[in-house]
Amino acid sequence: MSNLSLALTFSLVALALVISYKEKIGLEKDILIGSIRAVVQLSIIGFVLKYIFQLNNIWFTSLILLFMIYNASTVAAKRGAGIGKVQTISFAAILIGLVITLGGLLSFHVLSYQPSEVIPVSGMVVGNSMVALGLLYRNLIALFADKREEVEVKLCLGASPHEASRNLIRDSIKTAMLPTVDSMKTVGIVQLPGMMTGLILAGASPELAIKYQIMVMFMLTGAVAISAFVASFFAYQGFFSRHAQFVK
Amino acid sequence: MEVLSCAKVGLVKNEKSILQNVSFTLLEGQLLGIAGPSGAGKSSLLRLCNLLDSPAAGSIYYKGKDILTYNPLELRRKVGYVLQKPYLFDGTVEDNLRYTYTVGKKQADITEIKSYLAKLNLPVAVLPKSKTELSGGEQQRIAFLRSLLARPDILLLDEVSAALDEANTLLLEALLKEEAAISALSVMFVSHNVQQLQRLAHAILYLENGQPCFYEQAKDFFAKGELQHE
Repeated sequence: MSNLSLALTFSLVALALVISYKEKIGLEKDILIGSIRAVVQLSIIGFVLKYIFQLNNIWFTSLILLFMIYNASTVAAKRGAGIGKVQTISFAAILIGLVITLGGLLSFHVLSYQPSEVIPVSGMVVGNSMVALGLLYRNLIALFADKREEVEVKLCLGASPHEASRNLIRDSIKTAMLPTVDSMKTVGIVQLPGMMTGLILAGASPELAIKYQIMVMFMLTGAVAISAFVASFFAYQGFFSRHAQFVK
Repeated sequence: MEVLSCAKVGLVKNEKSILQNVSFTLLEGQLLGIAGPSGAGKSSLLRLCNLLDSPAAGSIYYKGKDILTYNPLELRRKVGYVLQKPYLFDGTVEDNLRYTYTVGKKQADITEIKSYLAKLNLPVAVLPKSKTELSGGEQQRIAFLRSLLARPDILLLDEVSAALDEANTLLLEALLKEEAAISALSVMFVSHNVQQLQRLAHAILYLENGQPCFYEQAKDFFAKGELQHE
C-alpha cells in the first residue's frame, strides 16, 4: 500500500463528516480529532515499536508492558471511581492476568520473549482486561446500590462481607467475561478478528493466522477471567468497613 | 445478668445528629420495648446494637465488652436483628432458613425448623415456596424465624408484627415470651402498638428526637399513662 493510497482512504472519513453534517449528528469535530489522533498516535507508536524491536532488550520490553498496564489500569479505574484503591487493584489484576497467561504461552513455547511477539499479544490481553474491569466495576457499583438490603440482611445473620456479596461478585465477573466468551463463540462466523485479518493481509497463510487467533482467544479468555476474579476479590472489600459494615 | 448496655450513645449520619445520650441496660431474658414517634431514632438504635453502624459517641457493651472489640460476624450471630421490612433472598423459604445454618457453619435442623413453623402458624407446605408466593405477614414471620434459628442471645426486632393480624401477632408474642423464659433470650423490640408494649415489655425506652425521654419498668411507665397520646 503506497502512502498516496493510504491518504486517499481519508475520503471515507470525509464521507462520514458529510453524513454527520447533513444529518446534524454533531460528530464532525470528534471525527476530525479522532482521525488526526489516530494518524499521529499510530505514527508515533510505529516509530517507537521499530526502535524497541531493534533494541530487543528484556528489561526494556518489560518496562513497556508495565507502562501499558499502568495506562489500562488508569482507564479501568475511572469506571470504578468511588471504590477504594481501585487504581492499585486494577494494576495488580491486569498484571496478574498478563503474567499468568503470558507465562503459560512462553512455557508452552507458543511465543518467545521478544518485543515483536510479546508486545502486540500483551496489548490485546491488557486491552481486553481493561474493558472487562470497567464492566466489572460498573456492575459492582450498580449491584451494591441495588442490593443493599440483601447484603445488610446477610450481614445481620452473621455472614462475612464476602459471603454477603457472593451473588453480586459472581454476577459482576460474569458480566465482565461475557463479551470475551461471546466473541469466542462467534469468531469466524460473525467476524474475522483484527489479528487474523492483519496476518492474512501481511501475507501469512490462513492456517497460521488461524493458529495465532485460536491462541489469542484462549489467552484472552484466561486473562479476562483472572483479572476480573482478582479485581473483584479486592474491590468488594472497599464497600465494607473494618467492622464489616456496609459503608457505600 | 446484663447482656447488653448502652452508655451515652450518640449517632451522627450525614452531619445530622440521629441519636444523643442514649443509655439503657438489657438483662438476660428481658423484653425491652422501644417506643417513640417515627423518626425518633428507634431503628438507628437497633442498627447500632447489631454493629451495622458504629456510634459517634459513647459505647455499647455486650456481656461487659465493647462491641467494637468483638469479631463483628460472631457478634451478629449472638445479637440478631430483624429489619422492619422483611427481606427474603431469592430461592425458596427453605433456602432462606437454611442460610442461617450455613452462615453459622452448622448442619440444618429440619425438625427444629418445622417445630418453629408450627409455633408461628405456618404450614410445612410453605417451605418450597418463593417469596413472591408469600403474603407480607408470612414473609415477616419467615424473616423473623431466619434470625431466631441462629440461636442468638439477643434479638433486635423492628416492628416485627407490623404486617401480622392479631391472632398471629399473639402467637409470635407467645413464642418470644417462651424463648425469653426458657432459653433466656433477651429481646429489644420496636413497636408502635401500645397494647403490644403492654403485653410484652418488661421495660420501656421511649425515644423522641433521638433522645431518651423515659427509660423505666413497663408497669411504672404505663401507670403514668405516658403513651396515651399515641
